[in-house]
Amino acid sequence: MSLHYRIKYKSKNTYENPVSEAYWQFLVTPENNETQEVLYSNFRTTVDARIENSINGYNFETTRIHCKKPFDKICFEAEFRLHKKDINPFGFSPIFNNLLDYNLTENHSFKVEFDNFLKHTELTKLPENIKTIHKFNKEFTVFENLNNLNNWVYNYLQFKIGVTKVNTLLKEIVVSKQGVCQDFSHLFCAISRENNIPARYVSGYLHQGNGYFGDSQMHAWVEAFLPNIGWIGFDPTNNILVNHNHIKVCHGKDYNDCPPIKGIIYASGKNETTHSVEVSQQQ
Amino acid sequence: MKYNKSKPIFSSYQKNSNLFDEIFDENENVRPTYKKILELYSDHSIQDFASLNEKAKASFFNQGITFQVYSDKKAQEKIFPFDLFPRIIEAKEWDTIEKGVIQRSKALNLFLWDVYHDKNIIKEGIVPIDLINTSANYLHQMEGFDPPGGIYNHISGTDLIKHSDGKYYVLEDNIRCPSGVSYVICNRNALKRALFGVFNHYEIHTVTDYAENLLEMLESVKPKGVDSPNCVVITPGVYNSAYYEHCYLAKSSGIELVEGRDLFVENDFVYMKTINGPEKVDVIYRRIDDLFIDPLEFRKDSVLGVPGLFAAYKRGNVTLVNAPGTGVADDKAIYTYMPQIIKYYLNEEPILNNVHTYHCSKPEDLKYILENVDKLVIKPVDEAGGYGISIGNRLTKEEIEKVKKAIKENPRKYIAQPIMSLSVHATYIDETSSFEQRHVDLRTYTLLGQDKEFVLKGGLTRVALQKGNLIVNSSQGGGSKDTWVLKK
Repeated sequence: MSLHYRIKYKSKNTYENPVSEAYWQFLVTPENNETQEVLYSNFRTTVDARIENSINGYNFETTRIHCKKPFDKICFEAEFRLHKKDINPFGFSPIFNNLLDYNLTENHSFKVEFDNFLKHTELTKLPENIKTIHKFNKEFTVFENLNNLNNWVYNYLQFKIGVTKVNTLLKEIVVSKQGVCQDFSHLFCAISRENNIPARYVSGYLHQGNGYFGDSQMHAWVEAFLPNIGWIGFDPTNNILVNHNHIKVCHGKDYNDCPPIKGIIYASGKNETTHSVEVSQQQ
Repeated sequence: MKYNKSKPIFSSYQKNSNLFDEIFDENENVRPTYKKILELYSDHSIQDFASLNEKAKASFFNQGITFQVYSDKKAQEKIFPFDLFPRIIEAKEWDTIEKGVIQRSKALNLFLWDVYHDKNIIKEGIVPIDLINTSANYLHQMEGFDPPGGIYNHISGTDLIKHSDGKYYVLEDNIRCPSGVSYVICNRNALKRALFGVFNHYEIHTVTDYAENLLEMLESVKPKGVDSPNCVVITPGVYNSAYYEHCYLAKSSGIELVEGRDLFVENDFVYMKTINGPEKVDVIYRRIDDLFIDPLEFRKDSVLGVPGLFAAYKRGNVTLVNAPGTGVADDKAIYTYMPQIIKYYLNEEPILNNVHTYHCSKPEDLKYILENVDKLVIKPVDEAGGYGISIGNRLTKEEIEKVKKAIKENPRKYIAQPIMSLSVHATYIDETSSFEQRHVDLRTYTLLGQDKEFVLKGGLTRVALQKGNLIVNSSQGGGSKDTWVLKK
């Protein structure tokens, strides 16, 4: 069975003082991979500006907008239609050999190969005193450990909007024990990496149910590398494995590699930005 | 020939026998290469030198050949003090230097390719992964990318010294934005103006061919599908300490000097704004640090770069010289692995010596370092321009404790080397109106392009102008000399 989705991404920006020139880079286009194929994409703005497709430093597709005429508010609207395979999250061959798997993760070449996703970043650094907050049990398979971690993060943090910002560090999050999908994902990455399992931060969209849409934001989850199998998606915010409702845009070491919007604005004063995302399933 | 103390210009020349003097051998005889020039110089009075020296200074200032020192509270344009006594390098000695710096540049290039592709040298355990992944200059964005022509370090500045054993040692490989080459050419011009007569007695290699070789190298790494590439030099602007050099390089190569705001990116191609409309740019010799080249990819607050430039680079539509991310290999901790790096990629023995280096990150080295701070030079691994260097035998007890504390807090940040004694060279000193011994080093300039290798036959001899000082960087108040490479 295959599924069709329509995604609408909207961003409204208002500025205190007129802006003379601005650049934006959007990282919101779903990637094409084995499970999803983009059929249609369209970008619009309310201001006369140049719209170009390009890539970021990690080769993910971006949309760049350059506006040279003065303005004080601007809206962006992106629409994507894509086709997603109905994936079985347990679709990989469930052959686990604990000894071999854990030995591989201890291998020097493995560590070099996956260094980017094993090393902590500023956003995925665990405070010294809780480095061992959740240890993997080597009697279980890597997959079972990751699944337990997914469950653990889900229970450890309470989903709450507005408590954290995009640059909130784990040392604050583990104290407040509240956050949004980014924070859940950073905590998952941190612990997975601490236990020598490569983990990468994923930015994308979540379809929250048939016909359901509302004031949702972009979503974030994690892909962890299962030795001898490959990258498998975990969504600690919902305590589920990644499935056909997850539409991936890009991945990186942490949020900083994946911000949906980057702007360079030549103006002074304050500005305000609002985003909204609608994901709907179509026949 | 013994040096003649009765000659006024050498009246106060005190020879320290512990140091290698470039002009006089251990028996106080003049070395053969310097015989003629010493004779010629001895014919002049010290007043002649004093007035020539004043004229040279004024000429540098009037031409705007200046730089800025960042540590000064008030940013001020200074001239790079120029010395009237040239440094002379024999043909045979130069031959070794030239082969040696090419060998290093090629090995570093292969190392960078490996580090940003298969990482074999790390997987085989020859270079520790920590040196790569903790380096602030490692750019993840460069992974898997093939720079045009396979070249990363198109322009290398190799810093060499001659130790008291008379052998050359490499101190640093500068492969980010090595500066100073314009001074090499200015020094030659200045000396020709001041004392043109001495050039009749020596057959020396020209240094003015640098610009044409630079352009040839830039053109050799043009993007695919471009016939006659349009090359430019991009500068951070007039407030940069090396702005004079950026102007010089553009002008002498016959290419445009631009700032970030003169360029723009459209559909992943780079264009320059001209009075005749946009003109496509293919190769950019950038004198802007990695993190400032594109605010959309790196530092958002950079006003020096061009939004979208990095994407254009990754699409293969423009070449950046040097490639972004080369800084990972000019880290002082990587330097210490140079003998192994040369052996690994070229299967050759290093032609030039490395200074033995202790790593604060290795426990056994750390122990030695902490016990012997007074006998070592302690350097931070990621600072350029001589900032943050501590020379052990110059430190007070309190300062030694401070250094030890800093090392213990952040061992990866420091390396230590034995205190090398840089060779000395007669240098005209303003304050005493006479020639005195001063420490010197040598920076060579190597170009690497597609099927192109070039070493400038000359280089920048930097002089530590304060008596006994070992740090020769211009930002630390050093001067420089014209450097002659003899044809035979």
